[in-house]
Amino acid sequence: MSEATLHVAQRRGTLALAGREVRRVLALWTQTILPPVVTAVLFLAVFGGALGERIRQIEGLEYLAFIFPGLLVMTVASQSVANASTSLFQAKNEGYIEDALMAPLQAWQLVTAYMAGAVVRALAAALVIAIGGAPFADGVAHPLVAVAALGLTALVFSALGTIVGVWAETFDQHSFVAAIVVTPLALLGGVFYSARTLDQPWSTLTRLDPIYYLVDATRYGFTGFHERSVGLSLGVAALAAAATFTVSALVVGRGWRLKP
Amino acid sequence: MSGGVSSLADPRPALLVDRLSKVYADGTHALDALELRVPAGSFFGLLGPNGAGKTTLIGAAAGLVRAPAGKLFVFGHDAVTDRRARLLLGLAPQEIHLDRFLTAREVLTYHGRYFGLRRQEAGERADELLDAFDLTTKAQTKPHRLSGGMRRRLLIARALVHRPRLLILDEPTAGVDLELRHELWRYLRRLHEEATTVLLTTHYIEEAEALCERVAFIRNGRILIEGSPAELVGRFGGERLEDAYLQAMR
Repeated sequence: MSEATLHVAQRRGTLALAGREVRRVLALWTQTILPPVVTAVLFLAVFGGALGERIRQIEGLEYLAFIFPGLLVMTVASQSVANASTSLFQAKNEGYIEDALMAPLQAWQLVTAYMAGAVVRALAAALVIAIGGAPFADGVAHPLVAVAALGLTALVFSALGTIVGVWAETFDQHSFVAAIVVTPLALLGGVFYSARTLDQPWSTLTRLDPIYYLVDATRYGFTGFHERSVGLSLGVAALAAAATFTVSALVVGRGWRLKP
Repeated sequence: MSGGVSSLADPRPALLVDRLSKVYADGTHALDALELRVPAGSFFGLLGPNGAGKTTLIGAAAGLVRAPAGKLFVFGHDAVTDRRARLLLGLAPQEIHLDRFLTAREVLTYHGRYFGLRRQEAGERADELLDAFDLTTKAQTKPHRLSGGMRRRLLIARALVHRPRLLILDEPTAGVDLELRHELWRYLRRLHEEATTVLLTTHYIEEAEALCERVAFIRNGRILIEGSPAELVGRFGGERLEDAYLQAMR
């Protein structure tokens, strides 16, 4: 059997596993896509509709236009982590991950396949919210930057989700990361406020939050407004995506918590 | 029983295990410098008590156990470092874990595709196996809705989707009724005649006696002895393989 035959099999296998993950997301759309859309609508209604009347403008932008990109980043980050970690944790917990572990796939291909479902879920939810929230946004100033920032958010957090899925040995551990790490990071990431207007230590804490840079880049993509260098934000996000992906592939490759 | 076509076509053993050792995180020594050679084309039985190391050995061959010490080759391909070994091996594990999001047919088609089959080819192969294992009427049923015997058949069918040259069955007839057991025997004999090497672990000594050309006794992570059932009976005395097994395990 030649190396070429193996590579063809691995490519097909990766696509099949990715397809299985995407299919799971679409089949369970009431659990995977609908909830984040409802949550984002509630955020827009409460923070935009109710508070927006009082806040009116922030950094020269209508409040809804200001928070809208950040809500998309929050959605993409939380849904990416949730999908990758849940799917891997379920497969591991119920034992059917052996189906994929027995296949001739490399670790990075397994990780890529699990990330695919997460990226599709996160971006599908973001797309629905973006379409529904279009009236609140004042156009898209730099579409490519917005897409790049949201795409990188999905990559960083889906790779992180695979690590969480491998690491978690109980449902509590699995939920812990979303509740204690991702949600606070998202809320402290400058979604609802401008970091420039904050006093210490909140201003520094916000600037230490990686999501802040993704929110800032996405906000630039939608509104043209930014607080940090957009190139630097996207560059750091790309590095973060590469780092989380590499760690995940190494962890899966070693079989840590996947194999006895 | 025929030696099979592949034994003539491929001089490499289906499975070659060289001083394989595995110590689990809790300190359990599952394999202890185990040596084994399963000839290509053979129907090989691995018999031993619970905890002897059978499932660990099989898991190591299939990539389900973290890198053990020593070497393990599937038709000459290193099972740890060379992914081609995976393409040549099909495993039906002892525990039944089937993807709960998929139907019985999809379990087979996705598994085939994970091993490189095209979508259409995997679908055709799935239909063929559903028919062979009398599961056609359950094609659209999710695994958790199947009976235990049906799930067991589906698991064995899954191991065969990508037409492996080495089929490993870990306790395939555990908890299976007599009729189904004999059906499975018939199917396994036919597979073997079609040149598939079969490695079988079982607690049913009469099963190994009925099916296997060669048998190895394993205990405490080591192979005690290996030979044809007749050789083992001759070596240990008694009338049947069961007598030899009991003598060897003393």
